[in-house]
Amino acid sequence: MKNQPKIGVLRFLGTNCDQDIWEACLATNLQPEWVWYQDHFEPSNFDAFIVPGGFSYGDYLRSGALAAKAPSMKDLRMAADKGIPIVGICNGFQILCEMNLLPGVLMKNRDGKFIDEWVDLEVCSESPYSSAKKVRYPIAHGDGRYFVTNEELKNLQDQDQVWLRYFDNPNGSTFDIAGVKTKNVFGLMPHPERALFDWMGGSDGQSFFEGFLK
Amino acid sequence: MSDMELKDKLKTYRISQSEYEKINEVLGRPPEGVEWALFSALWSEHCSYKSSRVHLKNLFSKSKRVLQSFGENAGVIDLDQGEKVAFKMESHNHPSFIEPYQGAATGVGGILRDIFTMGARPIALANYLCFGNPKAHRMSRLVEGVVAGISGYGNCVGVPTITGQTEFHSSYDTNILVNALAVGYFGAKDPVVTSVASGEGNLVVYVGAKTGRDGVHGASMASESFDESSESKRPTVQIGDPFFEKLLIESCLEVIRKDLVVAIQDMGAAGITSSSFEMASKGDVGFEIHLDEVPLRDPSMGPEEILLSESQERMLLVCTPENLKPIQEVFSRWGLDAHPIGKVISERRVILHWHKEVISDLDPHVLTENAPMYERPFKPWAYPFKKSELSLSLEIKELKSTLMSQVKSAMGTSRRWIYRQYDQRVGAKTARDCDSSLSVQRLPESGRALSLVLGCRPYMMRLDAFLGGADSIFEPALQMAVKGFEPLAVTDCLNFGNPEKSEIMSEFVASLKGMSQACESLVSPIISGNVSFYNETEGKNITSTPSTGLVGLKENLDLPKDHFQNSGDEIFLVRLPLVSTWGLAGEAQSLKEFVGEVDFSKASKFVKAWTQFAAKEGGSLSTRLVGKYGLGYALFRMSTEDLGARVQFGEWAQTDRDWVKENLYEVLVSAPQGHLNVQSLQTHFGNDVKVWKLGESVPGQLEFVNQDRSQSALTTDVWLAYETGWREHFEKLS
Repeated sequence: MKNQPKIGVLRFLGTNCDQDIWEACLATNLQPEWVWYQDHFEPSNFDAFIVPGGFSYGDYLRSGALAAKAPSMKDLRMAADKGIPIVGICNGFQILCEMNLLPGVLMKNRDGKFIDEWVDLEVCSESPYSSAKKVRYPIAHGDGRYFVTNEELKNLQDQDQVWLRYFDNPNGSTFDIAGVKTKNVFGLMPHPERALFDWMGGSDGQSFFEGFLK
Repeated sequence: MSDMELKDKLKTYRISQSEYEKINEVLGRPPEGVEWALFSALWSEHCSYKSSRVHLKNLFSKSKRVLQSFGENAGVIDLDQGEKVAFKMESHNHPSFIEPYQGAATGVGGILRDIFTMGARPIALANYLCFGNPKAHRMSRLVEGVVAGISGYGNCVGVPTITGQTEFHSSYDTNILVNALAVGYFGAKDPVVTSVASGEGNLVVYVGAKTGRDGVHGASMASESFDESSESKRPTVQIGDPFFEKLLIESCLEVIRKDLVVAIQDMGAAGITSSSFEMASKGDVGFEIHLDEVPLRDPSMGPEEILLSESQERMLLVCTPENLKPIQEVFSRWGLDAHPIGKVISERRVILHWHKEVISDLDPHVLTENAPMYERPFKPWAYPFKKSELSLSLEIKELKSTLMSQVKSAMGTSRRWIYRQYDQRVGAKTARDCDSSLSVQRLPESGRALSLVLGCRPYMMRLDAFLGGADSIFEPALQMAVKGFEPLAVTDCLNFGNPEKSEIMSEFVASLKGMSQACESLVSPIISGNVSFYNETEGKNITSTPSTGLVGLKENLDLPKDHFQNSGDEIFLVRLPLVSTWGLAGEAQSLKEFVGEVDFSKASKFVKAWTQFAAKEGGSLSTRLVGKYGLGYALFRMSTEDLGARVQFGEWAQTDRDWVKENLYEVLVSAPQGHLNVQSLQTHFGNDVKVWKLGESVPGQLEFVNQDRSQSALTTDVWLAYETGWREHFEKLS
């Protein structure tokens, strides 16, 4: 186990889950450090990165599209190339897809409306961030419908990249997909930072953040 | 000016003949140029509270916890241990009826600005909505638009919507109500700032979005009744930009917490006019403002439009000259401009410049302190529907089908379709969400619990304005008390019809009296709020609706649950018999009557006893305040799909119709077998209350047992009806 890994928390104009990620890191013995969208940084100074959720740039144009072009993202791409773990949550997942660091796109929910609710997820592929077979996190998104073509889906399955699947698909995602991964880049729509303590309604998020210690 | 010209002018600026005479008197001459616009805005009902001020000053508004109250952007209360909260509720009824999405969205934006201008970080939103009959003209579209507007703005700006109340009644068919409430948090190190300007030579700085033509004359629009031309007022509705607001929150809190500002106020109703005149007036200083320096979206705008624009996401702040640069650096980092447009002068005058010309030079008190105050006629309250006993003409089908129709009705069905669209958890403080009977957040520094609950049952207001007013406080206070919270303070949003009609004014006065007495008995002061009159369309007034928001505190997060926990849990009823009515079921059959009266001392004692009991017992109990549709409906709401209840008929409910009767106030409580008993509850709650054991929780059934027969429903059936009821009323919205 690493001693207090340093987590770069990326911030853009309009990001609104940044503080929650910060608090979650502190609560799980991680050392968070802000990465401002205009700033360049040295990837190897960090043990991992989290791209938090929220509405970067108000979701104007297309969710995640503007943040994907921010100056800090050049360095994040380098971090990805170097194999440093990067996790995108909700809007962070959308941003990583926009950067093509993860396959697929996230479209408007099937019923066109924002959805906030707790969901049960099947963990389909191994990662440091979830050792259980089933986890329960809240979702809160308007553009959470994960879409890939049949061919891309087959690729994902062949490479064991389907990470999390909804038991009860809330938004029309292809193959009920809630999260995907590559070797070191992870994206998921649900919010583990909102499931950290029992008083929040569930604490499955603890083991998610403990994954950064591994 | 000819009589004809004067008449036109008064009409354009919505100023009455007597107000015109008063303007002449305070100025010593007739108004000129932009002064017309200034008086129109600041003397409007919306800004001046001219019909309500005389009554508002009698409201109970003090306790040792109150740090800021009326007169500031929001009230602030002290939670001890260094923590404080600011909160306020405001209406956006008129704009939301004209343009539901933007009307509701900008209502949320506006109330958030009232909170973060004080230096508090917004942590929660709530909304109180009254819609007409679901089948009324445009109603589906209004419901969809309002909910989408709240969701679109609140979710993007990153403040969770944690509770709400949604009412349906035909009195809102042509005038819906959209009331938004926001709560802000101060940690031990966070300063509270005000809008009191000071310091000769200090700068007046404009921050946020550029000024456009949107919302010009909005304040005076909100101060008159609707007519068939209201649809054409769409251009006076403002457009919101939640992304911009998010940037404004972060930048304003940063400059406040770096101690760079002297005073700050948002530009709400009547925009730059109200903020500049009010800031100067409160500080007993003057402003010199260069309107030609105001950043504009459309450079062809004239001074009058600039003064009256209600463009959103703008603030006015006062700072020392040396702090301008650091302030500009903060705003620029967040992608915003901070632009000086004037300075503070020692003499109490607001001098407005337009290029090289002085276009107005007035003492701000003339517009704020000297605004007209009306003592509109009203009658003493005479309890029009109070009876010596309840008539027995309520028709009731057998209990199962009664219950089924209640849980499917517009008033009884699940609101999940609404709150599922709200982000209820951003900020990671939410301990109980919209699904719960009470919303709860965890205070970040102390770990204590803060609850927020809305009040006002319009059907109680239709029954009796005094009773309804008192109930607007006691009902939400009990909601939190049965979970162990102490109600600390209140904000209100007084939605009424035309105050020039004495029957409306009488209801206003009576309900305020009921509210104020209830607040005093609980020592929960009213610390902020807003009045919305003229909720009238073509002579038809809404139900008088004094909505409220209460904030409560508990030492920890060990809260009684909402639902039965295990099969065999014992179910008790604790009733304080004050008032009985056939309530919502009676109203549907035009049975408008009640017996008894509110005893403020007994009701407040009941609240306190519950706070104490529920806090001590915590999560081993399940509790529910019995409300709309009475005991039967409340028992269903305590059930889960798997766990129901078997209850007996008895002294508490002797006939079928007694299960839908509404008794103010009574509470259902369940606990594991042997944990509670009638005697111990009686001892705790005293001799004013009656306590009975009704039965116990059982798997899968909701069963009402009389001597000779038993009536039951499957909990899965009732839940299905409850969850799908919405769809029956709003086919298009599911």
